[in-house]
Amino acid sequence: MKTSAILGAALYAGAAALGMAAHAADPVTITIWCQDDERQPGLNLAKEFGEKNPDIKVVYRQIHFDDVTSEAMRAYSTGQAPDIIAIDNPEHALFASHGVFLDLTDRIAKSDVIHKEDYFPGPLASVTWDGKIYGVPKATNTIALYYNADMFKAKGLDPDKPPQTWDEMVDAARKLNDPDKNVYGIAFSAKASEEGTFQFLPWAQMTGGGFDKINTDGAVRALTIWKTLLDEKLASPDTLTRGQWDSTGTFNSGNAAMVISGPWELNRMSQEAKFDWRVTLMPVPEVGAPRSSAMGDFNWAIFKNSKHPDAAFKALEYFVSQDPRVFPDWGQLAARANIEIPPTGDAKKDAAVKVFMEQLKYAQPRGPHPDWMKISKAIQDAIQSALTGQATPKDALDQAAATIQGILG
Amino acid sequence: MRRLYSSLVDGRGFDLCLIGIPLAFLIVLSGVPLIYNVVMSFQAVDMFSLGSFIRPWVGFENYRQLIAQPEFWPIMGHTATFLAASIAGQFLLGFALALFFWTNFPGASWLRGLFLVSWVMPGLVVGAVWNWLLSGDFGVFNFVLRELHVISGNVFWRSDPTFSLWSVIIANIWLGASFNMILLSVGLSSIPGDLYEAAELDGAGALTRFWTITLPMMRSTIGALISLGLIFTLQQFDLFAAITAGGPSNSSNVAQYWAWDLSFKQYDFAKGAAISVIMIVVVMLASVYYVRSTRHEVRG
Repeated sequence: MKTSAILGAALYAGAAALGMAAHAADPVTITIWCQDDERQPGLNLAKEFGEKNPDIKVVYRQIHFDDVTSEAMRAYSTGQAPDIIAIDNPEHALFASHGVFLDLTDRIAKSDVIHKEDYFPGPLASVTWDGKIYGVPKATNTIALYYNADMFKAKGLDPDKPPQTWDEMVDAARKLNDPDKNVYGIAFSAKASEEGTFQFLPWAQMTGGGFDKINTDGAVRALTIWKTLLDEKLASPDTLTRGQWDSTGTFNSGNAAMVISGPWELNRMSQEAKFDWRVTLMPVPEVGAPRSSAMGDFNWAIFKNSKHPDAAFKALEYFVSQDPRVFPDWGQLAARANIEIPPTGDAKKDAAVKVFMEQLKYAQPRGPHPDWMKISKAIQDAIQSALTGQATPKDALDQAAATIQGILG
Repeated sequence: MRRLYSSLVDGRGFDLCLIGIPLAFLIVLSGVPLIYNVVMSFQAVDMFSLGSFIRPWVGFENYRQLIAQPEFWPIMGHTATFLAASIAGQFLLGFALALFFWTNFPGASWLRGLFLVSWVMPGLVVGAVWNWLLSGDFGVFNFVLRELHVISGNVFWRSDPTFSLWSVIIANIWLGASFNMILLSVGLSSIPGDLYEAAELDGAGALTRFWTITLPMMRSTIGALISLGLIFTLQQFDLFAAITAGGPSNSSNVAQYWAWDLSFKQYDFAKGAAISVIMIVVVMLASVYYVRSTRHEVRG
C-alpha cells in the first residue's frame, strides 16, 4: 500500500515535469484518486485506460480508505482536486450538494456506454442529488445472512429452510447457541462506526422506517431483538466493538453459527471456512413484509473544476464498459442488474453470489444527505446506548430521531 | 553598514540571529497552527471553507454547543480518569522496574534495553496486539486471569462499559512504563553512592534510605517525568482507535479521541478545534504549575 503511494507521488512529480517539457504537444493529463490496489479494479482499469489512450496521460494516486473524504475536501478547497475520485457512497451527497462534483446528467443521456436504467435503484439513488446525476456507481455490495449448514443439521434444523423472519432467526440462534463449545448463535456488528449504521438501518427500513423516521415501532422492535441477542448471549458481547470483518472471522472459525455480512467475505470464506456454508436473504419482520438491505461500496465522480471533463468522462465510460470483468477478475459486484455473473467453479460461492444479486434489488442507500455522518452518528449512539442498557430501545431511538430532526431541519 | 555587519558576525546581532532562527521555526511550525486552531474554534467552519482563513465569527457558540452535548461531562471525566490512572500506573510500574534493574544483577542492562521494545513499537501495532489480548471470547488476558482463578467467567474488556476505559488504560500503562523506567534509571544512577554508604554507616535501613535519599534526590526527575507523562497521555490516540474506538456508547471516549471524531468523522471542524483549545488550556495550566514548582525547588 505504501509503495504504491510513493509510486503515485513519483508518478505525479514525473507527470508535472513531463507536463512542462511536452507543453507543445499539449497532452491531456487526468488525475484519478482511488483506494484500490493492484488486486482491485480501480488501479488496473486506470492503467489500462492510459495504455489504450496514448493522447491521455493518467496519473493514479492511491488513497487510504479513511483519508478519502478529508483529502478530497482539503484538495478541493486549495484548488488541487483530482479530475476523478472514487468516493464512498454515503458521502457522495455531501460533495454533490455543495456543487463540487460535475453534473453528468446530460453526458450520460448522450453516452453509448453508460445507461441510467442498467443500474440497481440503490446505487443509482446514491449518485443522484436533486434529480441530477453526479457520478457513476463503481461497484456495489449489500448484506445477507450466512449460515453454517453443518451446525443446522447437528441441532436438528433444516439447512434447506433457513430463517426467513426475525423471530425465526432469533429461534434459530437460540437453538444453535452452544456456550460449552464456544459457539454463538449469530454474529453481526453493532460497532459505534458507520458499520453499525450499515447493519442496523435495513432493519428499520423493512418496517417502513428509515433514517428520517428512525423511531418507528418496527425499528424499536428491531433494536429490542438486537438487545435480546446480546442479553441472552446469543451473540458475543464484543459485537459492540467488533467490525463486520472480525465478526465474520468468528463464523469462519466455527465460533458462530450465523453471521450477517456481505459479499466481500466470499473469497476469504471459501478459503477458511471448512464446512458447508450458505447464504440466505436478510430475514424480514414477518412473512410478506417488504425487504430491504444495506448498500455499500464506492462511486466514481468528476470534480467540477476538472480541466479535462471530456477526457475524464471518457475514462468513466471505459471503466463502465469493463463492468463484466469486475467480479471474475477482482471479486466485486458491479452495480448493474444486466451483468451475467459467470460461474467460478466453487459451487458454494456461486450459490452465494446468486443470493447477493437477489438481495441487491432491495438494497437502499444511506441517505443520500449532505450531513450523513452526523445522522449516522445519532443512529450509532442510539444502538450503543440501548445495547449497553443505558436507555431503553424506545428512548434511545426517540433521542436519535430528535437529533436527526434537528439535522434535517 | 560595517557596524551592522560586525554585529551580525560577532556581537548582539549574532546572538539575536541565534535566538531568532529557532524562534521563527517554533512560530511557523507550532505557533501558527496553534493560533489557527484557536481562531477556528470561534468560527463557523464549513468543510469547503477549510482552505480560507476568513470565515464568519460565531463567538463562543461552538463551545456552548459542545458543553450542551450530553456526552461532554462524561467524556471529560473519562479523560481525567485516563490521565490519572495512566500516569500513576506508568510511573509506579516504571519506578519498580527501575529499582529492580538498579540492583545490577548479571544481564540487567541487557534486559533493561529489551524492555524498551514496548516503547519503540507504533501505537497502532500495540493497539492491535492488545485488541487481541483483551478480546472477550478468546483473549489471552482472560485466559491468564481464569487460570489464576481471578475471574470465573470471561470479562469483555472492550465491550463492557465498566471496563472499556480500563482496557485502554492497561494497554497504555504497558506502553509507557518502559519509558518511565529508563528516565528513572538515569535519575537513580546520578545519585552519588557515598550518600548511601554514609547512611548505612549511620544505621539507616533500606526503607529509610529510600525515603530519605532516593526519593528526595529524584524529585526533579519525577517532576519532569510526570509532566511528560501528562503530555504523552493527552496525546494518546492510537490505542483508542485500535482497541475500543471510544465505545461502547462513549464509555471509553476521551477528549483527544472525541476531537478527532468530530473533525474527521463528522466533519465538524470547529467543534473539534474547540475541544483542542480546552485541552491546550489544561496542559498550559499543568505546565505553569510544573515550572513554578521546580523553580521553588532550585531556591530551596
